Amino acid sequence: MSNSGITLALSKGRIFEETLPLLAAAGITPTENPESSRKLIIGTNRADVRLIIVRASDVPTYVQYGAADLGIAGKDVLNEHGGNGLYQPLDLQIARCRMMVAVREGYDYAGMVKQGARIRVATKYVNAARDHFSSKGVHIDLIKLYGSMELAPLVGLSDVIVDLVSTGGTLKANGLVAVEHISDISSRLVVNQAALKLKRNLIQPVIDAFASAVAAGSTR
Amino acid sequence: MTAWLLPENVEDVLPPQAWRMEDMRRALLDLFRGRGYQLVIPPLMEYVDSLLTGVGADLDLKTFKLVDQLTGRLMGVRADITSQVARIDAHLLAANAVNRLCYAGSVLHTQSDGFHRSREPIQVGAELYGEAGAEADLEILTLMLQGLDACGVKTLQLDIGHVGVYRALAQEAGLSGTVEHQLFGALQAKDSSAVMVLTAGLPVALRDAFAALPQLYGDRSVLAEARARLPQLAAIAAALDTLEVLDHGLVGVEAAYDLAELRGYGYHSGVVFAAYTGGRSHAIAQGGRYDEVGRVFGRARPATGFSLDLRELVIASSDKQ
Repeated sequence: MSNSGITLALSKGRIFEETLPLLAAAGITPTENPESSRKLIIGTNRADVRLIIVRASDVPTYVQYGAADLGIAGKDVLNEHGGNGLYQPLDLQIARCRMMVAVREGYDYAGMVKQGARIRVATKYVNAARDHFSSKGVHIDLIKLYGSMELAPLVGLSDVIVDLVSTGGTLKANGLVAVEHISDISSRLVVNQAALKLKRNLIQPVIDAFASAVAAGSTR
Repeated sequence: MTAWLLPENVEDVLPPQAWRMEDMRRALLDLFRGRGYQLVIPPLMEYVDSLLTGVGADLDLKTFKLVDQLTGRLMGVRADITSQVARIDAHLLAANAVNRLCYAGSVLHTQSDGFHRSREPIQVGAELYGEAGAEADLEILTLMLQGLDACGVKTLQLDIGHVGVYRALAQEAGLSGTVEHQLFGALQAKDSSAVMVLTAGLPVALRDAFAALPQLYGDRSVLAEARARLPQLAAIAAALDTLEVLDHGLVGVEAAYDLAELRGYGYHSGVVFAAYTGGRSHAIAQGGRYDEVGRVFGRARPATGFSLDLRELVIASSDKQ
């Protein structure tokens, strides 16, 4: 943890784009666009604020260990990480999607997930899958994948997948259907616990600016 | 050849840190002795029945366990010395007396508390038994700050909370089991949106009170704000009175009050506090009140104390050099 200034951990893509308006509300403008720049540390118009660009699933880790003071991470990522040692003061209502169970078209899901049944589940979100099916009383054999989950039921690797669904386009293109809604996902602001205490005068204004930007956005 | 390899999160203390650590241990024990604290040296392991009750109940997963070849009973290697000292106070020492006890020794954790944290912390602490008043909490808090000072570690931030506030609200709302556990988790994470969802079915006054907790964080003005925003419950008023005594008594330290800080909620019964220093992403010393813990050993005793990890202290003091 550096002693002066604050570091915000972000991932590229959708989360970065949807965070830009929030940063603007807090008076922070990145000096470069991570999509075109290859730099991993990006400065801002404020000398005491910098951004670091990391993989989405690494954001909680950077913040937990104080390598970043703040971070923006999806609820899906936080569930898998466990959230240990993190404050999660704000639901930013960005990068919204749903955690769903999906199967191959024509698969009798309702018939298969009876109490005491056993099915094979392919997913990147092992905690979410484990919790969901254990609450239904269904045994699962977990297959951890890192991407292209939609393939698994098609080639017989698994019976179902647990994945994030945003528009449903990828499922449809691969002949899959979403059959069960597990939870709503959106991105959260996470804060290192010691950083909030030691750098409160820098961090609290950012939290407050984000909070009022989110509130203004949700009433529109 | 990997015969030199140590397990993960297990390390040697080498020169010159080893002497520095020993100097700190002596400085702390000398300080405690000067204030009338008696030294106790509990065993490295004992039956889990005594180790994992009270203070230790949170420590089940963290405790290395082995079977006693003499009795077949399950033993644990201590993951925290506080529960052992509570046992000594409740069972072995004179009843109803005020006991001031201190200790220093290794503990063992099955899992590391975090990145670069040893699984074998060297725990040093002091506990004060038999005094229920806020003055006892103030004595321990002051002793902790003086201890850090004696080790050359500058306390940049002192956080003080009181689990009695959340406890009173949860009781008033009739919460129990899963919901109380989930709400506790949400408050620990200062996750306001989850707090809102979990308290949706409660009366407005209580809902507002729970929503206010994560925001009741800051300098002493928080105490007055809490009196205005939280329901008029006797337990809450008493908790805030205690915090005010501490605020008046602390000299030369800027404390922050955090009414959503519920560390050790399983056994703490009153004030909780933690000290932070620059460059470390977790507290370097912490403590609080745990009045009910002695009950399993024969009698509940007012109890308050603090502890720290010497390894962390050595790192914190060398960061600044």
